[in-house]
Amino acid sequence: MERNIGTEDILLSDLSFNYPGQSSPALDGVNLRFERGKFQAVLGRNGSGKSTLARCLNALLVPSAGKVVSCGLDTSLAENSLEIRKNLAMVFQNPDTQMVGTTVEEEVAFGPENLGLPQTDIRRRVDGALAMAGISELAKRQPLRLSQGQKQLVAIAGALAMEPAFLVSDESTSMLDHRSRSRILDLFLGLTKNGVGIIHVTHFLEEAALADTVAVLDGGRLAAEGTPAEVLCEPLRVRAMGMDPLPVTVVAGELARLGHPHPGPVLTVRELLSWLSA
Amino acid sequence: MAERLNLEAVSYSYPLPGREEAPALVDVDLDVEPGEVLCVAGPNGSGKSTLAQVCAGLLSPGSGSIRYAGEDVEGRAGLRELRRRVGLLFQSPEDQIFADTVERDIAFGPRNHGLSGAGLKERVREAAAMAGLPLDEILEKSPFLLSEGEKRRVALAGVLALNPEVLLLDEPFIGLDFEGRQHLSSSLERYRDERGASIMIVTHDLSHAWPLIDRFAIISEGRLHCVEDRAGMVSGGTGLAELGMQLPQWGILAGELLERGVPLDDPADPGCLAAAMASYREARHGR
Repeated sequence: MERNIGTEDILLSDLSFNYPGQSSPALDGVNLRFERGKFQAVLGRNGSGKSTLARCLNALLVPSAGKVVSCGLDTSLAENSLEIRKNLAMVFQNPDTQMVGTTVEEEVAFGPENLGLPQTDIRRRVDGALAMAGISELAKRQPLRLSQGQKQLVAIAGALAMEPAFLVSDESTSMLDHRSRSRILDLFLGLTKNGVGIIHVTHFLEEAALADTVAVLDGGRLAAEGTPAEVLCEPLRVRAMGMDPLPVTVVAGELARLGHPHPGPVLTVRELLSWLSA
Repeated sequence: MAERLNLEAVSYSYPLPGREEAPALVDVDLDVEPGEVLCVAGPNGSGKSTLAQVCAGLLSPGSGSIRYAGEDVEGRAGLRELRRRVGLLFQSPEDQIFADTVERDIAFGPRNHGLSGAGLKERVREAAAMAGLPLDEILEKSPFLLSEGEKRRVALAGVLALNPEVLLLDEPFIGLDFEGRQHLSSSLERYRDERGASIMIVTHDLSHAWPLIDRFAIISEGRLHCVEDRAGMVSGGTGLAELGMQLPQWGILAGELLERGVPLDDPADPGCLAAAMASYREARHGR
């Protein structure tokens, strides 16, 4: 298997994707790099191409034009797809679509079992993943009897049991309450410290504000890319890309409109409140 | 026009074969006032969806009572009557759309209620317009070939076509983007204003509908934790953090300002928050 040593990133070069029968491309000439050890958010309105992009990363979809090289492996070569999916685990919005086990621990063991690992390794991975997701106490429960939030934690534990280089989360937090969501985001941030790259597709700007980098898609094209402070602080620009600006950025803009010095690029309440005493 | 929907000491448990019953609602007292937008919020698994189904007449409480317009909802006939007045939009549109065209899908409910011919057609068009569906482009299409956002609108139109006095929506904002949420919020406001309907929004996320809500009923572990308006929600003391919930950024900012003694007229109005911050800073430092 051809593999470029030292390329641990996911590299998108002029990536385009057309769904059959659709007149306009879902992705249109996107250039992006995702790195290990970073928390990277992908934003955009419905239909902007976010989920299509996520599915191109692990060869669920193959580019119509351009290229995706995932950890040194070209996703358009069928023989690479298994190796690519070992490196890159996915979690979707609706956990029901990926539940197969009759107990939570069976569910989480499903991926590692398919890798043909010895039982002791599988056990270690399952216990570790359940602990990381904070759901060890659910191990013997039936996944389908859990709440939506708990099911999502199970799905994430299943992804973690694969010990992937990248974890792609396609709106995995949208059904979760604040506590579960914070837990997942803390987990994502912790994983980046262990070298895992997190690619988090989301509608929530408050989550994107925690990321190292943010990419915004609009109409299948890359509309903006940079740090959260660079991309998310101008309410008009954020709205033009089909998103709900962070309230603090709206209030900061109002302050400037009222003739006060602009508080600058603020993303959190604390940052905005520091203006009061500045 | 809506009437008051009133729950008194309502409890409900799901039967689990061979095991003890799992209580999903315990002694819930709740009034839904005519014409208000009430948000029922709580963490995952707190009993919100069960409460929605009880209010919509789909589940009959194990104990306690439901009254609508002062009348006890009793027996099958009572539940049927409640279902006629309370329309429930499920979380997933796939749970309630099924016909082969959008028009037939929206018409299904009112047709079952005996409407036909021109009256039925008019009702479908009204509901589709209220839900923001582009009428002529879409009515002949299969609802299953639409985008997720459009499917949601078809499901909403199907509920609106029944002219519910109380419109109840279970997690209606999940998966919608900014424009979708704005769109839904304005449809709901319009429906309330034009019909005098009450609206109940069940959600785990307080940020989605923050500016739209008159009162919040917070539910946790099947029990009603508190009922507050927006000002009450931001003033602290609701113990949201202990429940694993958080105010939206609007509310956190408003709460911080109130804590510093900055008076606020409307915690949901960005202009009001900015003006309050400016006058606080001026009072302390000059401009």
